[in-house]
Amino acid sequence: MMKGSELWVMINSNDRITTPQATVVVINFILGTGILTLPRTVAEQVKTPDVWLSVILGGIIAMIAGVIMVKLSQHFPEKTFYQYSQEIVGKWMGKLFSFFIIGYFLVLGGFHARSLAEVTGYLLLEGTPKWAIIMPFMWASLYLIRGGINPIARLFEIILPITVILFLLVAFMSIKIFEVDNLRPVLGSGVTPVLKGIKTTALAFTGPEIMLIILAFMKEPHKAGKAVLVGITIPLFIYVITVVMVIGAFSVDGVVTRTWPTLDLIRSYELTGLIFERFDSLLLVVWIMQMFTSFTVNHYAASLGLSQLFQKNIHPFMYGVLPVIYLISMIPKNINDVFKVGDMVGNAALVLFGFLPLLLLIISKVKGRKYETNL
Amino acid sequence: MKQTSNHVQFLLVLLSVFLLAPLAGCWSSHEIEERSLGVGVALDKGKESMIEKEFDEQGGGYARKNLITSTYQLITPQVASSTTKQGGPQQKSYVNVSETGDSAFQMLRELSLRSDTPLTSPHMKVMVIGEALARSYSLEQLVDQSLRDNDFRPSCLMFISKGRASDTLESKTAGEIPAFRLSTMVENAYRTTRILPPMSLIKLESQIQSRSSFLLQNVVSANGEIKFAGAGIIKGKTNKMIGFLNEEELDGLTWITGKGKGGLVKSFDKNTGQLIVYEIESMKSHIQPHVKGNNISFDVHIESVGRLSESWMTSGGTFNNQFLQNAQKTSEKKVKHLVRNVLEKMQKEYQVDVAGFGNRLRIRHPRVWMRVKENWDQTFSGVPINYDVKLMIKDYGASGSTK
Repeated sequence: MMKGSELWVMINSNDRITTPQATVVVINFILGTGILTLPRTVAEQVKTPDVWLSVILGGIIAMIAGVIMVKLSQHFPEKTFYQYSQEIVGKWMGKLFSFFIIGYFLVLGGFHARSLAEVTGYLLLEGTPKWAIIMPFMWASLYLIRGGINPIARLFEIILPITVILFLLVAFMSIKIFEVDNLRPVLGSGVTPVLKGIKTTALAFTGPEIMLIILAFMKEPHKAGKAVLVGITIPLFIYVITVVMVIGAFSVDGVVTRTWPTLDLIRSYELTGLIFERFDSLLLVVWIMQMFTSFTVNHYAASLGLSQLFQKNIHPFMYGVLPVIYLISMIPKNINDVFKVGDMVGNAALVLFGFLPLLLLIISKVKGRKYETNL
Repeated sequence: MKQTSNHVQFLLVLLSVFLLAPLAGCWSSHEIEERSLGVGVALDKGKESMIEKEFDEQGGGYARKNLITSTYQLITPQVASSTTKQGGPQQKSYVNVSETGDSAFQMLRELSLRSDTPLTSPHMKVMVIGEALARSYSLEQLVDQSLRDNDFRPSCLMFISKGRASDTLESKTAGEIPAFRLSTMVENAYRTTRILPPMSLIKLESQIQSRSSFLLQNVVSANGEIKFAGAGIIKGKTNKMIGFLNEEELDGLTWITGKGKGGLVKSFDKNTGQLIVYEIESMKSHIQPHVKGNNISFDVHIESVGRLSESWMTSGGTFNNQFLQNAQKTSEKKVKHLVRNVLEKMQKEYQVDVAGFGNRLRIRHPRVWMRVKENWDQTFSGVPINYDVKLMIKDYGASGSTK
């Protein structure tokens, strides 16, 4: 048997991913629960048909945050956030930040598992207990991440095209119930409503933060900026299409009362003449795959963080965080609590990945300059 | 070392074999042969059926107010298998069951007390609401359960029935399923201007939430036959029905909205009094709102291209443009008459806007709309509306004359 520390080193040196793979990980991590609820959450804030503009602006903000995180990570090649944060702000502060981020990944993982259980329990597996839905899901994730980042990225490469093709297919087939009047007027009440929705939409793009960690595994870290920009652009397109089709079908007034508007969109049309008449299951299939990928990233990032903090083999942590994530997923008592957890995670992301990386980047730049002048 | 790995391998294989076993099963599954598929539902003002009365006399029943009678159209396993086996010439292919009560959901579940094949509703095609019920209850409350339900699809089509809604789910034709007949009839909209664009449950919800008035296709029934006869008007403020547009008024409304896909205009020549029928190939309408200070007005431009499909006029030849122009004028006049007629009905009699004038104002003048939307129906009834109609007869079919 290999010793823990050796294995930990091995993972870091041989387990590499290409730039497209990094892009795919970012895309898959972004696409999650948000795709089903975004039209409602943003319409609640904006209240005019301009929601799609908010989505675009939110995406741009996410891109800026993503680039900042990439720049920060590029200062410390071959190192993840867990390692280099200690170099920037000292051992204890760095460890504290790392713990926050590990906590973030754990809670987000629990949130993903729970929303998966809520949706499948409502539409697909009525009567199946939540644990029976969540547990196999977690075990599959455990099996996958044991192989390290490379197998994760390769699986994601298979899942992503299936998701994009099937999702676009079912979304565009709703053209039958689409009414362009529901999306008009554009900017009828000025830009203020659009701005109100930006926070909600920007938070729908949480996911680029994974670059803080996987940049260390990239074969060509200097291309990470490109990876994160493309990685946000594709979800941006998917989100805009979703929001446009859902608002076009239901109108802003109609969408705010639907719990899962995107699911309702697919449930609201039937096409005769094709082999299938209904496409809800297609959407659910790709969505469950997306939830799996998001969950896997959380699971991996949290375990990696713990293993690097304690400088121990990653495998025990992979097993160890599973029950923690499960317990977190079971905390919300009802569906409103689930959405509240989602909001909480979003706010945490705003601080942890919106402001913190910028702060660290400034500190490291200042420090770096001092170091250079001292030379 | 080697032995332990062999043991582990053996255990892993054993575990995989065990894991294979649950793959064949399905948690909380229900056999489709043991369920009735609900394909339609009719909601009426509460009136217990004979069977229900008898049940009640024998001690059945529970605490309830008899407010609503729901009639479910079911395709039960028995009916489905008998029709396929015998070809079912005399047999009905559906079963209608009525339940009376006050909660839509409870009535649905009561069915489980009366049948071994309880209802499952993911194939619900139509929902018909009776006039009496729609006049006294808000649609929002009536469809609430259906919209929450995970089985009931939001694509279910909505109708209003003048008379008992349950009668529209009856048929005398063997093998015909009334719910399917209703949902397919909507597709005939390319033949007539008297069919509204389909209103699914989810579109109804959007209308309800927007608090604007709208129309639902009206279905009437007689002796197991049904007919689309105009539309029921739902008032946005209360979401209750307040009246009907008859078939000709619906014609006029379709001309205003321009959403018709086909149909005809029947008119009579001014001089000879003979019949001329214009067939619509395409129609387009543009509602232009004008705002000057506090005064709102609308211009409606209606354009259509079509053909002369029937003419009883003996004099005047179709090869002659003069004749076609005359026919055009006559038909235009008729359309104008239809439009004026329905505008009067909307503005004077019912004081509601169901033609989408408010929607145009919302798009063109969003800020004005914010101000007036609260009392739009009231405002609308006093708004001046101008309209012009341009018809173009493109051809006249296979017969013509030079006379």
